[in-house]
Amino acid sequence: MSAPATGGSKALPLTERDGGRRFPGLHSAELSGNWDPATESVVMQRLGNQPHMRYLTPAEEAAADALFNQLLGQKEEPRIPIVQMVDARLAEAATDGWHYQGMPEDGRAWKISLAWLDDDARLRCGSTFARAGWHEQHRVLQSVQNLGKDNWHEWPASHVWSLWTRYGCTAFYSHPWAWDEIGFTGPAYPRGYKNLGLDAREPTEVADARPRQDPLRRQS
Amino acid sequence: MTGVRERNGSAWLLPARPGIDPGLRDGMRRFDDGDEVDLVIVGAGAGGATLLQRLARAGWRVLVLEAGPFWDPERDWVSDEAGSHDLYWTEPRVISGADPVPLGSNNSGRGVGGSMVHFAGYVPRFHPSDFHTLSADGVGADWPLRYEDLRPYYEDIEGELPVAGEHWPWGDPHGYPHRPHPVSGNGELFLRGALKAGVTAKVGPVAIANGRFGNRPHCIYRGFCLQGCKVNAKASPLITHIPDALAHGAEVRADTMVTRVAVDGRTGRATGVHYEHRGTEHFQRARMVAVAGYSIETPRLLLNSASQRFPDGLCNDFDQVGRYLMVQGAPQTAGRFEQEVRMWKAPPPEVSSEEFYETDPTRPYKRGYSIQTVSPLPITWAEHIMAQGHWGTDLRKYMSDYVHWACLGALCEFLPQAGNRVTLSEEKDRRGMPVANFSYSQCENDTALMHAAQAGMEEILTAAGAEEVITINRYAHLVGGARMAATQDAGVVNSDCVSFAVPNLLIVDGSVLPTQGSANPALTIMAIAARTAAGLIAASRNGTGHLPN
Repeated sequence: MSAPATGGSKALPLTERDGGRRFPGLHSAELSGNWDPATESVVMQRLGNQPHMRYLTPAEEAAADALFNQLLGQKEEPRIPIVQMVDARLAEAATDGWHYQGMPEDGRAWKISLAWLDDDARLRCGSTFARAGWHEQHRVLQSVQNLGKDNWHEWPASHVWSLWTRYGCTAFYSHPWAWDEIGFTGPAYPRGYKNLGLDAREPTEVADARPRQDPLRRQS
Repeated sequence: MTGVRERNGSAWLLPARPGIDPGLRDGMRRFDDGDEVDLVIVGAGAGGATLLQRLARAGWRVLVLEAGPFWDPERDWVSDEAGSHDLYWTEPRVISGADPVPLGSNNSGRGVGGSMVHFAGYVPRFHPSDFHTLSADGVGADWPLRYEDLRPYYEDIEGELPVAGEHWPWGDPHGYPHRPHPVSGNGELFLRGALKAGVTAKVGPVAIANGRFGNRPHCIYRGFCLQGCKVNAKASPLITHIPDALAHGAEVRADTMVTRVAVDGRTGRATGVHYEHRGTEHFQRARMVAVAGYSIETPRLLLNSASQRFPDGLCNDFDQVGRYLMVQGAPQTAGRFEQEVRMWKAPPPEVSSEEFYETDPTRPYKRGYSIQTVSPLPITWAEHIMAQGHWGTDLRKYMSDYVHWACLGALCEFLPQAGNRVTLSEEKDRRGMPVANFSYSQCENDTALMHAAQAGMEEILTAAGAEEVITINRYAHLVGGARMAATQDAGVVNSDCVSFAVPNLLIVDGSVLPTQGSANPALTIMAIAARTAAGLIAASRNGTGHLPN
């Protein structure tokens, strides 16, 4: 189970202004030789070809793909294939099991909410959600988020928002390319850590090139 | 108190590598369905596994039926967040109420070892005040037990896990068998902030050996405690109690889902359990039955075991089954520091404070909260950022700052309320069994505690030098749902965990807790199981009790 060397060192396009390139030279997937075989197998699969779409229809796939690009700010290639990763989870019913009373289980909730997204886009932009422009898509989503606990179509908007972001973030931040962007070196078994403490780093860790780029402070 | 090895040899039965000895597992004793075992236990978590080990050592013919797998940590567990989904109970459930509580991840368990396989590792004791909150504070409930009844069992279990930490000044002051672990940047900031804010904080108490313990190795500080400890350093019943149980003739039958407890309508006694294994239904005969399926599945099993004698569910004559289910309010507050914290390095459980645990008469709420270090991995950290309303490019920008954040978590003592309960839904699982509907609503005291805990954590992080703080509101742990009480109209089991309605049916898990304090429940669940076992053994030896016959 060796790592595809090229797949491991791809950087996601993110400008410095948006938090990109803070950890130059960090390629967590290239550390896979230090991982145990069970972990390596699970993580490296995310860098290889993803399973064929099985659960969502093509129309749902298009809406979901656009939705995930928005939620995770993936404007251009290379992208983490979130929609395939989520489709695989739904096809295998690998959900957390619970659902809100008044809402169906996750797979069904996904299909219905994606259809509503297309309904909203048609009403506001005269096209499906996927075919709407980037800024129009953003506005449609912002209006869903703004509803908070109020209903969007038939369900509390916050419940739908949580469904979308939960699946999207789990896929995105399980991927080594996303780890590279946030300074996380990934699995740590069997090596563990030797240098604990503030500003203490392992030889495999990369220092933040712009430690003063606090997104909160810049906003205030 | 006897030596640890004399009462539980698990750590010495483990191989000098991860996981448990395959020989012990493959060579274990196996009972037939038709054998009337002395006790069949439903669920191999904190309660069930402890009970199993104690009774096996006393020579009982005991068997545990576990719905999930018998884990092989080296093969089955990964050092990865998303890849650890199988550690959770993910069968269908419905959540409802004014404040519905998501299930199936941190507050659930599946497989041998239960939720302790992925718990952080904090094992604080309850305080003496936890056992009489109704008389002392006018809220919650009084236990039919006193702290002193549990103390010797706390001490025993602390030795067996074993627990590492500083001398503990809160509740009933006590020491720990292992010295405190060194702390990471996250723990350092908590200690620094607490000192400046005038709050006492201590290192521990964690169920991670500091040094070798039997054949268990030292912790390697890899930070993936919540994904199952591949190292064998963090305690879970899989390595702390199951090996000794197997060595003493217990059987662990994994991948078996108990669907019904059988009760003889004429004698009113339990006769065994119906279970499903690889699609086939079985019936295991037993002289006694102990249910240890935790706060959602235990009530569900009782409610699904209705019969002519118990038309509203087993042990439910007084409409107590499923009620008084509690979660702890568990807000997490993070602070931003210019230095790199890299909070994910080292175990998430490091430092805690129980200074705000009890009722403070100057505050407008009753009871209190504790504060502990937590250290979310990337996916969980993204939930923190999303909870602030950020998404898209904004989210990516915040996430790129991950190395600079430290994080604390509080556990707020939410109060037991009759309306917070499990009932059966119309919805059925793939076996045709009605699934649990868990309804939860906070009371005013709960909400006030959430705010107080957030303010407390913000003060500590700010005192440590945080430039900004953010908070996410969430829940942790489940207890109650089949509580112990002094009388049958107020609970489901007595102080010995024996059900009021069926003399040879016990409930031995977190669902028996009448209140929860602001302590993580694992240690208390194990201590209650050890006490229950001691009672059963004593009764069977001297013939004074009605148990086991």
